[in-house]
Amino acid sequence: MAMALAVAPTRMELLKLRQRVGLAQKGHDLLKEKMDALVIEFFEVLRRVQEARTKALEQLSVAHRALLMCFAVMGTLETKQASKETKRELQVEISTRHIMGIAVPAVEVGEVERNALVRGYGLHMTSSVLDEASREFERALKLLIELSELNASAFAIAKELEKTKRRVNALEYILIPRLRDALKFIMMRLDEMERENFSRLKRIKAMLEERG
Amino acid sequence: MSYKIAVVGDQDTVTGFALAGATYAHIHTAREETLAKLNEFFASGEIGLVLITHRVAEELGFDFRQMLRAKRLLPIVLGIPDKTGYVPKVDELREIIRRTVGAEIMVKKEDS
Repeated sequence: MAMALAVAPTRMELLKLRQRVGLAQKGHDLLKEKMDALVIEFFEVLRRVQEARTKALEQLSVAHRALLMCFAVMGTLETKQASKETKRELQVEISTRHIMGIAVPAVEVGEVERNALVRGYGLHMTSSVLDEASREFERALKLLIELSELNASAFAIAKELEKTKRRVNALEYILIPRLRDALKFIMMRLDEMERENFSRLKRIKAMLEERG
Repeated sequence: MSYKIAVVGDQDTVTGFALAGATYAHIHTAREETLAKLNEFFASGEIGLVLITHRVAEELGFDFRQMLRAKRLLPIVLGIPDKTGYVPKVDELREIIRRTVGAEIMVKKEDS
């Protein structure tokens, strides 16, 4: 049972309270609608995350296998050496997009896959398995970048969803019942006062008749 | 805005992504060191995406989760499996769904 608000039982307060209940109700309905829309959006993003994740993880395991092959053929040290010589300046474009007022990142990336010539390691000391490992990792990285965007969106939406849900619940289970209780209290009190007044008048009338 | 990519993980993962062109890398050895490095990554404005292996993320544990909660929209942090394909049993997203939607746990199967 929600606790009633402490209010003065006057007609003025009654009017004010009625207005507040109406407003709270309207806010509640709007928030609830927002929540429903968010849930739909959330599940859509989740579906896409799942797809992207399966693809990315598959590619990543392929890449790891290729790298392992490279370690075996070229030697671990040589591979590491090559990775240090590689040009490492991949850039991603990140801007923010808005889904129903929530800022989510939008990641854009150009071609991640590079030609063996522009990677930067020396070609005469390295084997073709290194090229292959690099290529597989570049592919994996591209997929992972795409996944990261979706993942971040899902997190942002989930956060907002949590916030909205909390608000909806606060309105539904705390504020509105309290206001309604207060409303009821005032109405009862006003009725009671009217009855008191009525019986008082009756009593006075009876007294006047007795005297007269 | 253009951003760069950072990788945190074991030697092999870091080597692989370095070959693919990720700019920053940190090989995880000690917990404190990695946390300090991650702080550095988060604070610098030029990194847009941090890839971290699930295994390392798990080892960092609470402090890492705290950092994730405190960070702003960027950098985006993404957990990836390492060479053994290790993925934690409790999925982060699934955990969030449970918190927000209630006790609902999705089992998805695409029929088509």
